[in-house]
Amino acid sequence: MRIVVILGRMLDPRGIVVNPRAGRIFVNREEYILQPADRCALEAALRIKEAVGAEVVALPRTFLPDDDVLRQALAIGADRAIYIAGKPVALPDDGLMARVLLAAVERLGEVDLILTGATTMDTGQGQLGPRLAEALGWPQIVGAWTAEVADGSVRAVRQDGGGYVWVEASLPAVVTFVPGALKLRYPDGRRLINIYKGVGEIAAALERWEAKDLVAPEALTPLLERRGQDFPPERERGVRLSGSPEEIARAAADALRSRLPR
Amino acid sequence: MDASFLDLLMAQQEEVTEAEGGGGIWVVADVVDGAVAPVTLEAIGAARNLAGALGAYVYAVLLGDGVSDLAATLYQAGADGVRVADHPALASFAVEPYMEVLVNLFQAEGPEVILFGATPQGQELAPRVAQRLGGGLIEHATAMTLDEATRTVQAAVPIYGGEYFEIVACPQARPQILTVEPGAFPAPFMDPYRKGEPKSVEVTPVEPRVRLLGPADNFTPPPVPLAQAPVIVAAGRQAGGFRLVEQLATALGGQVAGDRGARDAGWIRPEQIIDVRGVTVAPKVYVAVGIRGDTFHNAALENSRFILAIHPDPTAPIFRVADLCVEADPQEVLPALLQAMGA
Amino acid sequence: MDFTFSPEHQALRRMIREFAETEIAPIAAELDREHKVPLEIMRKLGEIGLLGVCFPQEYGGMGAGETGYCILMEELGRVCANTAVNVGAHIGIGAMCIHLDGTPEQKRKYLTPLARGEKIAAFGLTESNAGSDAANVRTRAVREGDSWILDGGKVYITNGGYADIITVMAVTDPALGARGGITAFVVETDSPGFKVAREEDKMGIRGSSTAELVFEELRVPHENVLGKVGEGFVTFMKSLDMGRLTLGAACLGGAQQLLEQSVYWAKTRRQFGEELAHKQAVQWMIANMATEIEALRSLVYRVAWLVDTGQPFTQLAAMCKLYGSEVLSRAVDMAIQIHGGLGLSRDFPIERAFRDARINEIFEGTNEVQRIVIASNIFREFGVRIRP
Repeated sequence: MRIVVILGRMLDPRGIVVNPRAGRIFVNREEYILQPADRCALEAALRIKEAVGAEVVALPRTFLPDDDVLRQALAIGADRAIYIAGKPVALPDDGLMARVLLAAVERLGEVDLILTGATTMDTGQGQLGPRLAEALGWPQIVGAWTAEVADGSVRAVRQDGGGYVWVEASLPAVVTFVPGALKLRYPDGRRLINIYKGVGEIAAALERWEAKDLVAPEALTPLLERRGQDFPPERERGVRLSGSPEEIARAAADALRSRLPR
Repeated sequence: MDASFLDLLMAQQEEVTEAEGGGGIWVVADVVDGAVAPVTLEAIGAARNLAGALGAYVYAVLLGDGVSDLAATLYQAGADGVRVADHPALASFAVEPYMEVLVNLFQAEGPEVILFGATPQGQELAPRVAQRLGGGLIEHATAMTLDEATRTVQAAVPIYGGEYFEIVACPQARPQILTVEPGAFPAPFMDPYRKGEPKSVEVTPVEPRVRLLGPADNFTPPPVPLAQAPVIVAAGRQAGGFRLVEQLATALGGQVAGDRGARDAGWIRPEQIIDVRGVTVAPKVYVAVGIRGDTFHNAALENSRFILAIHPDPTAPIFRVADLCVEADPQEVLPALLQAMGA
Repeated sequence: MDFTFSPEHQALRRMIREFAETEIAPIAAELDREHKVPLEIMRKLGEIGLLGVCFPQEYGGMGAGETGYCILMEELGRVCANTAVNVGAHIGIGAMCIHLDGTPEQKRKYLTPLARGEKIAAFGLTESNAGSDAANVRTRAVREGDSWILDGGKVYITNGGYADIITVMAVTDPALGARGGITAFVVETDSPGFKVAREEDKMGIRGSSTAELVFEELRVPHENVLGKVGEGFVTFMKSLDMGRLTLGAACLGGAQQLLEQSVYWAKTRRQFGEELAHKQAVQWMIANMATEIEALRSLVYRVAWLVDTGQPFTQLAAMCKLYGSEVLSRAVDMAIQIHGGLGLSRDFPIERAFRDARINEIFEGTNEVQRIVIASNIFREFGVRIRP
C-alpha cells in the first residue's frame, strides 16, 4: 500500500507582527513551520503504516524555494519525499498545484490513499485535497479527526453537526485532516541529522522532480493572482454598549458571532 | 385603492425575468434544518452588487428533498432565477449526487461567477466544481470588488484568520468560483414582493461514495490546552454565579476559566486561572464576566483578538483592555445574551 | 567567517524547541514545587535521540556534535533549569567520560544505553574534601585480582539518586596524587556496596537529584577502568571542559527567556500613565541584558565550533561557564527588578529562575576556579606558572 502525504509550510505567526495603522507586516523572525493540518495528515499516515504496513511518500503542497518541508517529513518518518521544483508563486495556487500533483501521483503509480490538511492555517486554503479527488475521480473525506485502513477501505471520524461520526470510503481515496486532530510525534533525532546532512541510507529517500517534466508548460500558468493587501480597521478599545438589556445583548451577540472562529 | 390591489400590482411589477444565453452569477444554496442558511442570502446580496456592475443576472441553485418552497426566499433575497433539484436522493448532502446535478447544470449554463458558502458543504463542493470546470477558486472571501474592464472579481481573503487580508483575483480561468465567509457580507433586504418561477432540474440519482457508518460515540477530540483555546469565557468575583458562564462557553464552543476570585468561589481549578502567575492566553474571543481586571489578569490576555467585558463597575480596569464593554450585572445580561446567541 | 547555523542544526533547534515547549514547559513549575525529578522527560528525550545528541551514531547517538549539544542545552535552559541540569550531568559529564576515553567495548556496553536514555548517568568527582580542589580525592580503589574494591563516598552528585551508571574518580596510588594516582571507573549502581546516603534539600534546582553516595567494599571489574590506570584525572578534566561549555549554553537559554519575559512585562505594565517600556531605567536594563546575551551567544557557539573542529578550547570553555553563569545571574536580577513584586511571587517563574540561577556560579567548578583556569592559561603564555 502506498500513501501520499501532501505537506506545506507557513511562516510561524509568533514571528510576525501585523500593524494595521502602518499597513505593514513586520517579520521579526523568519521561521517556517509545517502546516499543522498537513502534519496531522503525516501523523495519520504513519499510524496507518504502523497498523497495516505502507510506504509513505511526502509531496509538497506548493512550489518551495527549498526542500526543508520534505526533509522534515523524512525526519518525522516518511519513507520517501519528492521535492518538486517549480517557480514559487506569491500565493498558494491549489488549482495549479492540483495539475502538478496529479501528474506526480500518476508517475508514482499504485497510490491508494492521499492524505493532506483540510485547511492551511495562514491562507485558509482547503481546496487541494478535493481538487485532487476530483481530478483522480476518487471519493473524499474532508475534515477527518482520525483515520484507519481495513479491508480495502478507509474509515475516518468526522464532525457532523455537534457530534462525530464514522464514515467510510473504498480505496483509493483522499482524506483531509483538521489541524490539531492528532497528538503528533517528534522527529527522530538520528534521521533528522542524517537527512539534513545528506548522509546514510535516508539521503536516498529524498528525490527531486522538475515540475516542467510533469506537466505541459501552459499547465504551469497560475490560476490566481495577488492584487494587493488589506488590513482590518485599527482596534478601538473601550467601546461601551448602551440601550436596553435586549439591545445590548443583541449587539454583543452580533459582535461575538462575527469574531468566533469557524 | 385597497392594499391587496397594491400588493398585486407590486408583485406583477417585480415578477423577475431571466436572461437568455448563459453567463450570470450563480449562488449554490446551503440548506440547514429545512431553511436557507444565512450565508446563502448574504452571498445573493453580494452577487447582486456584482451583478449591477457586470450587467449580469443572479441565479440560485437549490438542492435537497422537499426544498422547492424555499425558492421564494431566494427570490426575495435578490435572485433573478432559481433552479431547484428536488429529489429524495439529495435529502442529505453527499458529494457525488450533488456534483452530478451541479456539473450538468453549469456545463449547460456556462456561469461567469459561482458563489458557495464557506460551509462544510461549500468547501467540499466548490473545489470539485472548480476542478471539473477548469475554474479558479478563491476561498473564504470577506469582501468582493470588480475589475470591470476584465470582468474579474477581486476578493479579500483573511490571512491567519483575519490578521490581514490578501486581495486575490482569478484573471484568466473561467468560471470564477468563490466561497463566501459566513457573516462577512450584510444580509440583503428581503423584498416580499419579489417573486419568480423556479425551474426544476432533472436529477439522475448517483450513489454517494462515502458511507456513513454511524455515530463515533467513543471518540473524543484531543484536549486543547487553555493557553491555546480559541474561545474563552472567564468568570470573576462579580459574575454572581457560574452556571450561566458555563452555558455561554458551551454556546460559543469555548472553554471556561476565571480569575483568582473565581477560584476562591470554587468555580474553577487553579490551572484555569488567567493570570501572568497562572495561564497566559491568546484566544480569538475572550469574554470576561464580572472580572474586574487587575494588572496580572489583564497582562495575561494581552494577545486576545477580541475581548468582551461585562462588569457592573464602570471604572473596572478590564474596560480599558476590552474591545466591547457592558456596564451591567452579569446575571442580568447573560440570559439575554444567551438568548441572542440562539442558545 | 560564517555565523549561520547549518540546516541540520536549525532543524534540530526547531525539534528541540517544539519538544521543550510541549512536554517540559507545562510541568516545569510543578517539578520545582514538588521536588520531582523529570524521569519521564528523560525517557522521552532518549526515545527521540536527544540524550545522545553529541555522541556518534554507532553508539546510539545522533552525531550532531558539540554545537548540537549546545543547542539542546540552550533550549532546555529556556524552559526548565532542572531538566537542563539533569541532562547536562547525564550527557555532558557522566556519559562524556565514556565517550572520550572509553574502549569500543565500554562504549557499546555503557554509552549506547546512555545515548538512548535507557540508562541515566552521573559523574562522581566531588567529595567532602574535594570539589574545586579536584586532586584531593580520597575515595580509595584497591586492586584485587580482576577487580577493584572501592571505599569512600561522594557528595553533591547530580543525578546521583537514580543514576544507573556513575563514572567515579578514585585514588589508586596515593603517592602519585593527581599526576598518575587517580583512576576513573564505570560503576553500575546496582552493585553491592553502593548506597545513596541522602538527598540534598536545596534552594534551587529542586527538580534534580543531588545525592551523597557511599561506597563500601564496592567491587568493580577491571574492565570498567576508564582510560588507563592512573590517568583518571585527565579524563575528568576533559569531561569538565565539555560540561562547562554547555553549562554556558543552558545559562544562555535561561537568560534569553528572562529577557523575553521582561520585555513582555515592560510592554504590558503601566505605571505613571505609560508602559514600563517607555521608562529609560527599564530600557537600559533591557539593553544591558540583550547585549550580554548576544555576547554570550557568540562565545558559546564559537567554542562549540572550536570543539567540533578539533581545536583547543579549555580556556574558552571556562570563560563560557564563568560568563554564562554571571550573565544569567545579572539577567535574573534585572528581570526581578523589572517585574517588581511579581518577580518574588512563588506563582511566577521568575522567582524560580532566581533560585535556579545561583548554582551555575558554583557547580562544575566554582567561578573562582574558572578564573584560575583562565588566568593560569594566560600567564602560561608568558612563562609564568601560577599555583591554585
